[in-house]
Amino acid sequence: MKKLISLLTAAALCLALAGCGGSGSEATRQVNLYTWENMFPQEVLDAFTEETGIQVNYSNFDTDETMLARLEAAEGGDYDVVLADDYIIETAIAEGLVAPLDKEALSNYGNIDPFYQGQFYDPDDTYTVPMGSGVQTIVYDPARVSVDVKGYKDLWDPAFADSIAITSNFRVMNGMALKILGESYNTSDVATIQAAGQKLLELAPNIRLIKDDNVQDDLLSGEVSAAVMYTSQVTMACLANPELEVVYPEEGVGFGIMAMFVPSAAPHSAEAHEFINYLLRPEVAKQVFEFQGYYCTNQASYDLIEPEMQDYLILPEEFKSNTEMIENISAEASEAHVQVWTEFRSACGL
Amino acid sequence: MSKPKPRQKSSLWLTALPLYIFTLLFVLGPLVYMVVLSFQQRAEVWGVLNEYTLDNYLNILQPVYLNTFLQSFKLALASTGCIILIGYPFGYFMAKLPGKWKGRMMLVLMVPFWTNSLIRLYGWIIIFRANGPLDALAMGLGLTDEPLKLLYTYPAVLVGMVYVLLEFMILAVYSSAEKMDWGLVEAARDLGASPLRAFWTVTFKLTLPGLLSGVILTFIPSMGLFFIADILGGNKIVLVGSLIQDQLMRAHNWPFAAALSVILMAMTSLMIALYKRITHTSELEGIL
Repeated sequence: MKKLISLLTAAALCLALAGCGGSGSEATRQVNLYTWENMFPQEVLDAFTEETGIQVNYSNFDTDETMLARLEAAEGGDYDVVLADDYIIETAIAEGLVAPLDKEALSNYGNIDPFYQGQFYDPDDTYTVPMGSGVQTIVYDPARVSVDVKGYKDLWDPAFADSIAITSNFRVMNGMALKILGESYNTSDVATIQAAGQKLLELAPNIRLIKDDNVQDDLLSGEVSAAVMYTSQVTMACLANPELEVVYPEEGVGFGIMAMFVPSAAPHSAEAHEFINYLLRPEVAKQVFEFQGYYCTNQASYDLIEPEMQDYLILPEEFKSNTEMIENISAEASEAHVQVWTEFRSACGL
Repeated sequence: MSKPKPRQKSSLWLTALPLYIFTLLFVLGPLVYMVVLSFQQRAEVWGVLNEYTLDNYLNILQPVYLNTFLQSFKLALASTGCIILIGYPFGYFMAKLPGKWKGRMMLVLMVPFWTNSLIRLYGWIIIFRANGPLDALAMGLGLTDEPLKLLYTYPAVLVGMVYVLLEFMILAVYSSAEKMDWGLVEAARDLGASPLRAFWTVTFKLTLPGLLSGVILTFIPSMGLFFIADILGGNKIVLVGSLIQDQLMRAHNWPFAAALSVILMAMTSLMIALYKRITHTSELEGIL
């Protein structure tokens, strides 16, 4: 008897383990949205549900890489709309995890600013709808800095000793040195990357902080006097302290695009298109971008954006010509980048 | 320690079967996967190829990567040193407290554990930050005129390490000092040993297993706690952990990240083996 009970318990537990992950009912229409935290204001999602009856299930990832790994495991299923960074989308498309968009279902498609279209990750705009863009800018506090900052090279000024914050994305940071040398972000030439590494080593004494999240806090609190930051952080910093100076580096502006796509085996493809089309409405886009703090990619909403936010949310026309995106590069080149970066960080060491 | 009773012949082990399956699947499985991965070749942009190579291990021998092991080792050594200096006396005197106070002290030690260590570390950021409480104190006392730039320095990282790991040392030393027969110390004193000599020949020897297990319990995690160096050191010390993260998340070189992890694990296993050799025990003191 005892043996029987043990056996039964064992069997039940095994079943319980195996039974995890059953699917829910399909009675209500829904769309599974997969992106970073805090990309859409709740009001926008609620209004969509109210209007269409489609429930939005928001799940988030912390990095693009997590997203791609999950999508790969799900073989392009589980999620209906994914919003992620340009370079990872290129890989996702190459892996066959992205479905072509049905443009017929996207009546608001024309609202997209063409500047953000036809880029390297989706040259024919077959798969993606851009939803936000960021550039890397230098922000500094003129109250604490005597240098007139025009570009990346000014960060090398000894006056900045131990007072600069940079991000931990090594393609962006090694890229600063590449730009100073007049090279492309995406060079695959190992010798050039190493030369940039030598240049970068000279910057080490000026680095106080290497950090991705909330760098604006360190700039605002006075921990650092200048920082290389992403657009949403710049927006937050400038709204908190309008005295801060924002510099679009004269060597060239690195920028990235976030775009939405529908995975190849999305369970609710029709709802996904409906959702994307909704987000492309000018008044909805306005709400989303004012919430995100990234550059608006929806030209129909430019005039709707609140006047005090216009400067931060619309990429100035004069900088559009001098931009370059960071693309995927060869394994060999990317290995050279990690080495350069590791050496640089050790040189910043304490 | 009492010997375990001979196992009763019963079929109860069957109920534990799912647990064994679970462990094999979710603990051993990933480990094996990691080892296999470490011998594979990376693909150009994403994923791995089905080709096997030793390159990932040879890659570690480059000076820039060996240096990260050295940095990790140095930081772990420095933190463990500080932790011994504070933790050993703390654990020792805690064992000598009257029973009622032992319990209270234990509670005081445990309470911080109820909060996530990451959140507690953010507390240190507030304390260390420019114009923060410490700066205000130093300036108020006239010790300095401008902010001390305490945050994002090596000492700040050390404070964080000690703060997060100290409890493990205290509990390990306490549990071996608690079990000690203080009569032996008295006997040594009666036979003419000076207090220092009695401590050195009796107390220290008897609490050595606790101390060593404390060292293991603090040294090994401190090799891996790179987030402390990230948030209190401003990411400026390259530890093996953060190198693994860079390789995995940014360079997409999973096999190299796996090779680094395997070496790190081999190093820590070696330390545990060493501990067993020195103390002739298989259990770590202080793991309650």
